[in-house]
Amino acid sequence: MADRTLGRLTRLLGIVHYLEIHGATPFTELADHFGVSERQVRADVETLWVSGLPGHQYDDLIDFDGFLFDQGIADLTNSQGVSQVSFSAREAAALMGALSALSAAGAAPAASASVMEKLRGAVGGVSVDVSASSPVRDEVRSVLEAGMVTGTAVILDYVDAQDRRTERTVEPHRLVVIDGAAYLECWCRRAEDHRTLRLDRIASAVPTTSEVTHPPVDTHGFSLTQRYAATVTLERAARWAVEDLPGVTIMADGDETVTATFGVANPGWTAGRLLAIAPHLVSVEPAALRTALADRARGVLAAQGD
Amino acid sequence: MTRTRLRRLGVPVVTVRHQAYGDDIGYRIDPSQARLPALDFTPAERAVLSLAADYWHGVTLGEDASHALIKAASGSAHAAAEALPFAALSTRLTDATAQLVEAIQARQEVAFEYASASSGTARRRVQPWRVRLSGGAEYLIGYDVDRDAPRTYRLSRVAGPVKAVGDQGAFDVPESIDASLMPSGTPGTATIAVRPEAAHALRARGRAAGEDGDWDLLDVDYTHLDALRDEVLALGGAARAVAPDALVAAVRSHARAALEVARG
Repeated sequence: MADRTLGRLTRLLGIVHYLEIHGATPFTELADHFGVSERQVRADVETLWVSGLPGHQYDDLIDFDGFLFDQGIADLTNSQGVSQVSFSAREAAALMGALSALSAAGAAPAASASVMEKLRGAVGGVSVDVSASSPVRDEVRSVLEAGMVTGTAVILDYVDAQDRRTERTVEPHRLVVIDGAAYLECWCRRAEDHRTLRLDRIASAVPTTSEVTHPPVDTHGFSLTQRYAATVTLERAARWAVEDLPGVTIMADGDETVTATFGVANPGWTAGRLLAIAPHLVSVEPAALRTALADRARGVLAAQGD
Repeated sequence: MTRTRLRRLGVPVVTVRHQAYGDDIGYRIDPSQARLPALDFTPAERAVLSLAADYWHGVTLGEDASHALIKAASGSAHAAAEALPFAALSTRLTDATAQLVEAIQARQEVAFEYASASSGTARRRVQPWRVRLSGGAEYLIGYDVDRDAPRTYRLSRVAGPVKAVGDQGAFDVPESIDASLMPSGTPGTATIAVRPEAAHALRARGRAAGEDGDWDLLDVDYTHLDALRDEVLALGGAARAVAPDALVAAVRSHARAALEVARG
């Protein structure tokens, strides 16, 4: 549950801290800086004005210049020594853990390194760390980034999810980390559509001087639009395996089984997930998902020589 | 404001206990640690911080991350926000991480219900050491008090809340953690046969080990056999498990079970 009080308190301290360093500041600039409305900044300053040290006498209160306040400018005249508090263990773990994860996936922006250094200097180590994942080639990374910066297309040697090797010219838009793996969002000239390509499946990338023709779309390029709803019943002990499916609802059916309902955007991907927990499955609906599951299972058994 | 919320805000609160009776007599705040150090993030660095916060979108640690962004803004000069051609999306993160990070910091034992596919759901008492992110999933590495041994837990298998139990400062986190606990499993080497021009991710990690008819043989090191099994399954026939036997048996039994269920 969102803790609004804590968020507001953090901002109140932030405003005092910012004003102490930067001096008189228009409400509009504070609003932009802290990502809230100008009206909220005004309310925050009014709250700070009646806040202060225990005792709560006039001399104990945080004070602002009243004349400038009426002109929409916050000017702190007495902070009472109040300042922003340092990062909590959870905050530091969230930021540093995420940056390590992006970096391990091979898709952290260049400025991540200096951010990590500053955070480490402020809080020391954190209790969240990251396993290395499949490597992304440095030369691929730098060609893609150069393409994004200069707005030029790149020729990729790519191995798709069905393991087919293709050469394609793409217009690179964005690097995205989804569940620990890095992807390139791009316009693919071969498919004439937006595509999301796994970075570790790009064998090589060659720059071109051809300018981009299709700008990035606003929304994430990867499709989470569901094609149909699936209902899967499985043994209760394997419940964990479906708990992280996007948009899943899980109902207990009694002591033995649970039923999970979720949207299927990519039947092949969902079938792969179900295959990994197949011994615990009791039933799978609809028939289209059963077909996708059976196709995949037959392929595996044929390869094993069964 | 409660002690828990103060700690979450970032104010280091220490419970002061009566020496003789062990009762809580109050709380102490260390002001030298509480103050945000001078930190000026550039616009590019602040964009990186919001990207990091996006990573935890939808779970409790996401709120902490957004508070951290306010703190980062507090000391930084105002500038137009920079857009970065980067993004993060996670669908496998859990609320448990936030509580665990706090318990590790306080060196306090935790208790939770844990479901394992082999032994059902049981309550575990653990001295938490580290949270590890691996392949987009979270794991807890710690000392299982009842089993008297270090263990790794996949956090998506934790059912219900993680509760801090017992005293703060109750244990020490080891300086280094045994590699076999990262995340659980017995490391080993498997042999996988792959189709020509196929299974490029396995090829990148593995070592060529000859040929078998039309197939290329690869030796692949693994830390978790289940993860390798899922990778072979996901290749849907472009890869064949050769060794160890446990891997071959697991791939076969999973595919057979899937066919059985798919008959409807």
